[in-house]
Amino acid sequence: MDTFEELNAIFCKVFYDDDIKITRESTSDDIDGWDSLSHLNLVVAVEKHFNIKFSDAEIAKWKNVGEMYDSLVLLIQNKNQ
Amino acid sequence: MTEFKITNDQFNIAYYCTRHQCFSGNAQKTALKWISHNGERREYTFEQLDEESNRYANVLQEIGIRKGDIVFTFLPKMPEQFFAFLGILKIQAVAGTLFSNFGEEALTDRLGDCGAKAVITKKSLLKKLLRSLPFLEKLETIFVVDDMENNEKVVGLPALLAKASGTFDILPTAPDTPSVLHYTSGSTGKPKGVQHVHKSLLTQSYTSLHVLNLNEKDLYWCTADQGWVTGTSYGIIGPWSTGVTQLHYGGAYNAEIWMRILEDEKITKWYTAPTALRMLMREDKNLFKKFTLPDLEYIFSVGEPLNPEINTWAQQTLNKEVYDTWFQTETGSIMICNRPGIKIKPGSMGKPIDIISAAIIADNGEHCRTGETGHLCIKVPWDSMLINYLNNTDAYNAKIKNGYYYTGDLAFRDDEGYYHFVGRNDDVINTAGHLISPFEVESTLLEIPEIAESAVIGAPDELLFEKVVAFIRLKNNVTWSDDLELKIRIFLSNRLSSIATPQDIRIIEEIPKNKSGKIMRRVLKAWYKGEDPGDISTIEI
Repeated sequence: MDTFEELNAIFCKVFYDDDIKITRESTSDDIDGWDSLSHLNLVVAVEKHFNIKFSDAEIAKWKNVGEMYDSLVLLIQNKNQ
Repeated sequence: MTEFKITNDQFNIAYYCTRHQCFSGNAQKTALKWISHNGERREYTFEQLDEESNRYANVLQEIGIRKGDIVFTFLPKMPEQFFAFLGILKIQAVAGTLFSNFGEEALTDRLGDCGAKAVITKKSLLKKLLRSLPFLEKLETIFVVDDMENNEKVVGLPALLAKASGTFDILPTAPDTPSVLHYTSGSTGKPKGVQHVHKSLLTQSYTSLHVLNLNEKDLYWCTADQGWVTGTSYGIIGPWSTGVTQLHYGGAYNAEIWMRILEDEKITKWYTAPTALRMLMREDKNLFKKFTLPDLEYIFSVGEPLNPEINTWAQQTLNKEVYDTWFQTETGSIMICNRPGIKIKPGSMGKPIDIISAAIIADNGEHCRTGETGHLCIKVPWDSMLINYLNNTDAYNAKIKNGYYYTGDLAFRDDEGYYHFVGRNDDVINTAGHLISPFEVESTLLEIPEIAESAVIGAPDELLFEKVVAFIRLKNNVTWSDDLELKIRIFLSNRLSSIATPQDIRIIEEIPKNKSGKIMRRVLKAWYKGEDPGDISTIEI
């Protein structure tokens, strides 16, 4: 399972929906239940799964799943260096 | 704008929102401008709104829905939400609306209590409903607005609507015919179904004209979700029964998009919530320099008390006043408000509207004097008041005493006749304008195997007005961890809704209760705020 697939699995877990198929362009308007409050659950779930920590500034900048994924990949790379 | 008038003893809400507008010369006037989250636009004239809702009425009637049956919509803000709502009312069935963020437990409680016969939803929300379905014996049909597939109880609507007639004769509807059903949270027990009747549109249209100051030239935007009373009373009934064009945006809060809608669409009247305004206040000030809002005449807010800082910010940043309005699901329409024509008193609820009578009443039933805090009450009856809590007449009777409806709010009236909110006299939590039952959250928490006991309170919050705080006692062999916290949050978000999910979870060794086992939330609130809990002699720990 690659990182994007793992991220997809977290979305499914957080939003109780095994059929979610995220794309880089997906936004909160594409996934039922993804609002500012459940977003916190998502962020924490991603941080715990990958053992990383997003900064508030990073989180505030995300416009879609792709930008979230890019932040995630960067943090994973930094962690592994 | 001419006053709203009932014609031919017809009180049907949907009639006045559609057919009557066509008879009144508004057939080709735009009724709905809808913008989706990704910028797709759809517009409907009053004639088209009439035809589309007629198709829903015909389909529902064809499948066996009759006068008095309860049909819910479980949809986000999309045109089908409005067509369905009006179609249900046209056949004199009861139209309930469900917040699209609700999880399966919230759905089961509400649909199960009222014995809903049908639900209209969309494909992406269907899964939640199907998880509730085994517990909903009376639910016969789930209509899906964007799916063609049919199976046992699930029916795709597009094919049925394509065949349905665009004409429908609305039968004369008596004023006391049940119309809209909303569920509201109390501090004890499950949510209660608040039943309104068709004559509610008299107060809803009156306040649309005399509080929101709507007129035939307006482009009006109400940001409330149709799952809540503001979304139906002032996102459907009030404006359309008075022939006003509405804009609805299908996306979530986004400061830049909201400001662009206000400017580009030339919104003239805007009805939103204090939390939304506080979120805007937190945005970079430079954002607002990009926009001018010459068309926007008035901003109104509802849901929570409007703190004076918001008005100051709105004056400085948007060059506008914000008029705070107060009402409840039970009142059906605005009762007390700051409004154009009277001086705004920042921080106050404003004054009662002219067609109702409000009072502040002490525990002993006597009317309070100026400045004295007591129970905020409205003299009964008024046209948009609830007629009952569904299946819970005892709860209804408990709120009506000596000719007054007790709102559950504590308030005082000042020497200029303005009312001031002080707090609730129960434990209901008002977070971002949504009422949350602590009992409902506590019950759902107890479904988590690791939790032995729970207690939930509302605590002051700068953004949300109040936040949900949960106190939890874990079972003996369980250790608190980040994983467990995340599990709890995800569970609550999906079973109830994200708004009911605690912002803060505290682990304690015992939940304070009195001798009869009642949770002493007063003590927990004091502990949480670092205050003296007062008399704790009755605590049983």
